Amino acid sequence: MIQRFTLRILILGMMWIGLSLLKLDRDMSPILWQALIFTIIVLLGSFLEKLLHYQGDPYILPVVQAIMALGLVFVTRINPAVALHQFWWANLGLLVFYVVLWSIRDYRYFGRFRYIWGLLAVGLLLITLLFGSEQGGATSSFKIGGIGLQPEEFVKLALLLFMASYLEENEELLRVGTVQWGRFSLPDWRTLRPFMIMVAFVLGILAAQKSLGTALVFYMLFVLMLYVVTERTLYLGISIPIFLLTGTAGYMLFSHVRVRVSVWLNPWQDPTGMGYQIAQSLFAIGGGKILGTGLGNGIGASTVPVAISDFIFSVIAEELGFAGAMAVLVLFLIVVMRAFSVSLRAKDRFGQILAAGIGILLGTETLIILAGVTKLLPLTGIPLPWVSYGGSSLIVHFILLGVLLNISNATAVSSHSTKNRGREYAT
Amino acid sequence: MRGVRKVALGMAFSFFILSLGLVYWQVVQADTLLANPANRRLILMESRVTRGGIFDRNGEIIAQTRVSEGKKTRIYPKGEMFEPLLGYSSVKLGASGLEGSLADWLLGIKKSTPAQAVQQLFALPRQGDDVVLTLDSRLQSIAYHALKGKMGTVVALDPQTGEVLAMVSQPSFTPKNLDQNWHEIISKEEKRPLAEKQRPLEHRYFSLFPPGSTMKVVSSAALLRSGMNTTDLYQCQGSTIINGQVIREQNDKAHGWVNYNMALAESCNTYFATFGVQAGDETFLSVAKGFGFGQKIPFELNVPRSSITQETMNPTSLNTNLLAASTFGQGEVLVTPFHMALMTAGIANHGVIMKPHIIERVLDPSQNTLFQQKPQPWLTALTKEEADKIASGMVTAVTDGTAAPGALPGVQVAGKTGSAEPGGNVLTHAWYIAFAPAEKPKIAVAVIVENGGTGGGAAAPIARQIIQEALNKKVGDKSE
Repeated sequence: MIQRFTLRILILGMMWIGLSLLKLDRDMSPILWQALIFTIIVLLGSFLEKLLHYQGDPYILPVVQAIMALGLVFVTRINPAVALHQFWWANLGLLVFYVVLWSIRDYRYFGRFRYIWGLLAVGLLLITLLFGSEQGGATSSFKIGGIGLQPEEFVKLALLLFMASYLEENEELLRVGTVQWGRFSLPDWRTLRPFMIMVAFVLGILAAQKSLGTALVFYMLFVLMLYVVTERTLYLGISIPIFLLTGTAGYMLFSHVRVRVSVWLNPWQDPTGMGYQIAQSLFAIGGGKILGTGLGNGIGASTVPVAISDFIFSVIAEELGFAGAMAVLVLFLIVVMRAFSVSLRAKDRFGQILAAGIGILLGTETLIILAGVTKLLPLTGIPLPWVSYGGSSLIVHFILLGVLLNISNATAVSSHSTKNRGREYAT
Repeated sequence: MRGVRKVALGMAFSFFILSLGLVYWQVVQADTLLANPANRRLILMESRVTRGGIFDRNGEIIAQTRVSEGKKTRIYPKGEMFEPLLGYSSVKLGASGLEGSLADWLLGIKKSTPAQAVQQLFALPRQGDDVVLTLDSRLQSIAYHALKGKMGTVVALDPQTGEVLAMVSQPSFTPKNLDQNWHEIISKEEKRPLAEKQRPLEHRYFSLFPPGSTMKVVSSAALLRSGMNTTDLYQCQGSTIINGQVIREQNDKAHGWVNYNMALAESCNTYFATFGVQAGDETFLSVAKGFGFGQKIPFELNVPRSSITQETMNPTSLNTNLLAASTFGQGEVLVTPFHMALMTAGIANHGVIMKPHIIERVLDPSQNTLFQQKPQPWLTALTKEEADKIASGMVTAVTDGTAAPGALPGVQVAGKTGSAEPGGNVLTHAWYIAFAPAEKPKIAVAVIVENGGTGGGAAAPIARQIIQEALNKKVGDKSE
């Protein structure tokens, strides 16, 4: 209990120190009020955990709250004018998280909807493609009543649930296979069909929207979840040539893909033109050196395009240096690893698959955007979970977190009661 | 659940690769990225800081940034006087001179202690540090007005501390509104015919000139070190032949019987050539090296090295003809006026050349001292006896020789003139080096007026004015 509270106070203290170090020209009081609400929610939430006997993973939530606090400080630092919105979303997200954590009696219930989730995912994507507005080269946002929505984010949730229920249902068939093809036994067409149709639809629509980053995240999600469930290297083996083929086809067919790749290979060729984003990102990261320029001292916040969303990590790496950037990496690594550990402990197959899926999703998202801003991979703009500015992403990731911890808690509670039951028998 | 474990392992490995990427950009490539011309980091960092002021040793403002209504303007109340030494710093033109080389202090980036460096992590300096120079505006002003309209340079040092008291190069430019006037300055200079080029951006105190007869103070040390007696007499016949090469006196004047003091005072070429060759090239070269020839001068600004030969910075031997010409500063010898002033200061300071410096103190915005320069010796060029003998010859030059126009009433001045032939059918460069008072020197000066004629006529009066002012004010006397 004491430990739980001290940890929270440390995290919140970090946020408050960060906010107070920022020297802003504008009136900070609305932001500080929201920060206070955030503080209260975090502390009350931790009290609630005690009250409701939360027994799930004790590390994930504090770590995510630390990431969130860091994100809030940096969003405020980069653009104080929109930081208030981010605080609203963060507070709302935390509330949603607790609602999801405590209101789901049995997460297995979600498994019943199966193809509904798939239809929902495709439907959301189609609507965005048809009615969405273009932003930063990609047709991925959607306006309802003045609030910009990113349906892609909600698709992540629907798709995860679809994958988990589909894989749970067809696990054996996918694992063993019914059709012999040379040395390999493959599942029959009827088993594979729904999955293939989903893959084709989702990736096709995303490609049409030019959301390459999200498409890559989903592709990784499909492949890795399939591998996790079936444990067949065959699927990984097939996925690589498919990826290379589609990648090459995309490179041949679409000029924007070619531009991305050429800019990735040599951003210095034209650092003021096409290579501008990545060059500025690297200038910012490189300027941070080991200890960083200090919070608020960097130049990346003003020179790097979309510093507040896709490139927020460049600003963090600049102002907190290698030390701070490594800390962020480690925090994300902890969340991802703990998600896998939740998966390993879960008592039922659906919970195992879902938790692993959440881990894979968070891991790939983080890796793809961070590899993009550090030029390890061609840049594909996606938000960094809990850090980048954007309401939809925040809410969805808090829902995912709620589901994950719900699984973790349910596992712990059931094993606890099983233990008790065992004791009953003994007496 | 092997699948989950393997995927987890793969993720952890990918994160590790990502951290290597960070190491690559933030440690390995950090400096390369900073040097990329498209990287505007330094300019942007600079624009947020109010540049610190530059002051002279008496606290007079040389450069200062005034902020009014959020707009920063750099003002230079002294105008042209401190240019090109002071230099400039602008987004359009870049930076040069002291404004460029002191930038890390002026922008508050340079920190002398780790504590200050840590402090900087949390609070970006908004106000740069102030730099107090060792320069004295009044000496600078006298030198500037004396040189105005001529082409030349003046360097004045405190021989006991190595402090630079004045450093003027003329013609120069006005630092005010330089961004607007730059084009005009450049195009005007480009239109002039080659012979009339004014080179307003050249730091003449760092330009290489043949030293002419001022070199004889260096040769003197070689003569003394070879065991020559200063009272021995030599008959000067107006010219002599050494190794088949004719050595002439200026205007072929025969000085008659001269001892060392008289030879230096009358600037007798044949005397120095004859005894210099007797002393030998090794002695001469080792003496020159001891005076700093071929050496990098430790200074806040970059000074080109002076050299005896064109071929190499540190020659080990010299042929007799070149040695003979070098003893009176012709041949291939090239010296910067700044180095000439340092050598003069070394003779004045009993043979020890102090490390020259132009920063006296650096003060943070609340006027705490961040850095203070302490006098340090650089080279020991001469023994005390050698220095005293050469000084005595230089005094004779002022009392009874070519340096007479440098004399001052009531003060013993030690001086040496030079008229260096730059080559071609043009007037000689007028050189003059001096220090005073001879017995306890407080100031050492080197002056050169390009194509000014004789050192005594064109350069010595300028030095005299500076020395007079300096001694009136007792420059360098900190107890005042």
